[in-house]
Amino acid sequence: MESPKSRSGKARLLLSVVDDDESVRESLPDLLKEFGFAARAFSSAEEFLSSDCVDKTSCLILDIAMPGMSGPELHQDLKRRGQEIPTIFITGQRDETVRARALKQGAAGFLLKPFSDTALLAAINTALQAT
Amino acid sequence: MDHQVKDSADEIKRLQRCINDLLSLLALPAFWTGNEPSQIVHIVLDALLGMLNLDFVYARFEDAADAGSSPEILRVAASCRLKAPPPEICRALRNWINDGGQKSFPPFRDSRGDEDISVFPVPLGIHGEMGMIVAGSERADFPGQTESLLLGVAANQATVGLHEARLLTAQKQIATELDRRVAERTAQLAATNEELKRGIAERKLVEEKLRHQEREVKRSEVHKGAILDSSPDCIVAIDHEGRITEFNPAAEHTFGHDRSDVLGKPLADVIIPPSLREKHRTGFARYLATGDASVLGRRLEMTALCADGREIPIELTITRIPLDGPSAFTGHLRDITERKRSDDALRVAHAQVVRSEERWRSVFENSAVGVALTDLDGRFIVTNPVYQKMLGYSEDELQQLTSLEITHEEEVERNRALISELLEGKRQQFQIEKQYRRKDGGLVWVRNNVSIVPGTERVPRFLMALSEDITQRKLSEEALARARSELTKVAQITSLGVLTASIAHEVNQPLSGIVTNASTCLRMLSANPPNVDGARETARRTIRDGNRASDVITRLRALYSKKEPSPESMDLNQATREVMALSLSELQRGGVMLRYELEDDLPPVLGDRIQLQQVILNLLRNAADAMSTIDDRSRELLIRTERDEGNQIRLSVKDSGVGFTPQSADKIFEAFYTTKTGGMGIGLSVSRSIIEAHQGRIWAVPNDGPGCTFSFAIPSRPQGSADAETKVNRADSSADAA
Repeated sequence: MESPKSRSGKARLLLSVVDDDESVRESLPDLLKEFGFAARAFSSAEEFLSSDCVDKTSCLILDIAMPGMSGPELHQDLKRRGQEIPTIFITGQRDETVRARALKQGAAGFLLKPFSDTALLAAINTALQAT
Repeated sequence: MDHQVKDSADEIKRLQRCINDLLSLLALPAFWTGNEPSQIVHIVLDALLGMLNLDFVYARFEDAADAGSSPEILRVAASCRLKAPPPEICRALRNWINDGGQKSFPPFRDSRGDEDISVFPVPLGIHGEMGMIVAGSERADFPGQTESLLLGVAANQATVGLHEARLLTAQKQIATELDRRVAERTAQLAATNEELKRGIAERKLVEEKLRHQEREVKRSEVHKGAILDSSPDCIVAIDHEGRITEFNPAAEHTFGHDRSDVLGKPLADVIIPPSLREKHRTGFARYLATGDASVLGRRLEMTALCADGREIPIELTITRIPLDGPSAFTGHLRDITERKRSDDALRVAHAQVVRSEERWRSVFENSAVGVALTDLDGRFIVTNPVYQKMLGYSEDELQQLTSLEITHEEEVERNRALISELLEGKRQQFQIEKQYRRKDGGLVWVRNNVSIVPGTERVPRFLMALSEDITQRKLSEEALARARSELTKVAQITSLGVLTASIAHEVNQPLSGIVTNASTCLRMLSANPPNVDGARETARRTIRDGNRASDVITRLRALYSKKEPSPESMDLNQATREVMALSLSELQRGGVMLRYELEDDLPPVLGDRIQLQQVILNLLRNAADAMSTIDDRSRELLIRTERDEGNQIRLSVKDSGVGFTPQSADKIFEAFYTTKTGGMGIGLSVSRSIIEAHQGRIWAVPNDGPGCTFSFAIPSRPQGSADAETKVNRADSSADAA
């Protein structure tokens, strides 16, 4: 699996992580940077929406259960706005219906925490190739 | 000569004797005292007889007193030699007189044979109208001169006497007659007087009566006048020509005419409107002609004309005045403008009342809830169909029952007490939820709103009950209560499931971190050149997360451990501190600033340490969750313990998070309520069960600022109190049914 690494300062694809869990926000961007992406972390959907990254994000890694606007809600919202971004949902809930719903909504990927780095990378590649 | 002298002396004697006799005769009237004719004649005859030495003397005279009779008196001298009885003499004399008295008197036999009697008649009165005296003597020379004279004088005397007697008699008669007449007259007068008196008395009586009658009439007049004057009805009287004879003050007022102006004028012209005058005249004429009294004595309605030209509706009754002679009529009139108006208003009001009554009746009949009216004893007066149907009784059947008779025994006393309060005025109404026993024996739950309806003049007070069938709701409530208790049991039973879920949630976070960080670490080390600093950092995080996971497990195990709950006298502050220590890392991760104000010397509480810590942890977690989206202000969490009133200890957890809406205030403690997607919403429900098992209560209030404060208060118990132990034990054992 190739990781689109580039050290030459060529523009890296931006991945945005939205999760209310701080440990996720702490650890995931580093991993993504190791993958060769640029990464930004947001604690809520609202924070993401009010940021300037919406247009620049190539892929969204989205926690499902969040206080305020949930992950699926954010996904829908972006769709409505016509700013659909390939989205990978991550969640700790092991509920099949949640997964089914997410995929039906048009999620590019769905991962259960804890997930391995390879699983994550595969999902990201799938999401980016879909565009 | 001697012889002459002797003759002269005899003559003188004779003359003297004659004069004496004359004098005696003249003195005779002194003797007849009674003026009695026969007495007079008697006296005269006697005198003559003696004087003249007559053989007899006879008189026939008119007795004035005895008209038509001619009494005779005969006096025969004793020396008379006549033999004939007196009656015969009288008869003979009578005859002789009747013959005229000229012939010689028939001789009578005397003792010596028939001797001639010389009779000498002397009339009494000029023409003998008084009678006749006949003197008889044997002497041949009878009567001599002097004897004639004397007879003549005696006759005169007798005549005079008889005249006088006659006069007297006549006088007497007249006097008597006068007397009689006077007496008669007097009697008549007396009688007349009496009659007059009687008449006067009668007349007085009559006058008295008349006066009395007059007074009566006057009184009656005054009375009538007063009636006329004071009558509120118009009284108008007319004569047979239809002219007004009476017009009382009320009529003056109503029609606007003065009495003096209308008296004598035709009624038709005064108060009958022009349009009706012809009809009136013909009707009046017809009555006078035919006696058809169809309009008399009845109440008629018609229009009348006032002085100002207005026409007003009037009610009129005409009666005939019962007098002799030509007819006269009285009319009683009343202006019924007002009455008509009020009649109309009444009709309208009545219609409104009827409509309103129908409307209310309809409301009653068609009400969606049961309506029952009972008397003060609770006996049903009237019920609507919904009520009847609810109970399965007909209206008649209900009227034999009272509301308490069909109320379930358990609620009867309470019901009766409330009704008493109602009747005593202590309350205006009450609500009660109770069961009725239906006719078929089944029970229905009802919610009754009972009020007392004040009485009116016609209707006494009564009770009104609005009855709603809440059987379904009650069943639902009961089902819900059952379900809730089931749920509590279930919740407790599935604490293992909760544990699992908790663990999964709690542990997933650090595990996720571990995997991610470790993966990153490896990649960093595989880089060319290796990113050792980065690897170190990620390794450090990995270890940290691993510890965190371990802490979580330990904590969770402690919290959800299966060891027997032991109610102990514990210090809530200490327990709180322990929970805080366990949660600290989590809280810090969430960016929550934890502050605490634990009151010093808090009295101990008797409770299950683990369970209470469960509750505190739940509250802390909820607070942290509520603040997890807050960015514009600091996330502050304040835990406070304090003494509360009534020997209670209160613990509060105050956050500055999103708070809760008033609508959800009731629900947040209910099972399965959660605002978190993916949350199970068990926490607060179980917490409530635990706190209530500790005889406490748990609640939430919004803050003045952002966020809210969750609090629970439980009784403080001195060490070794037996009651609390038992209760807490029971609560715990039910909590640990699994």
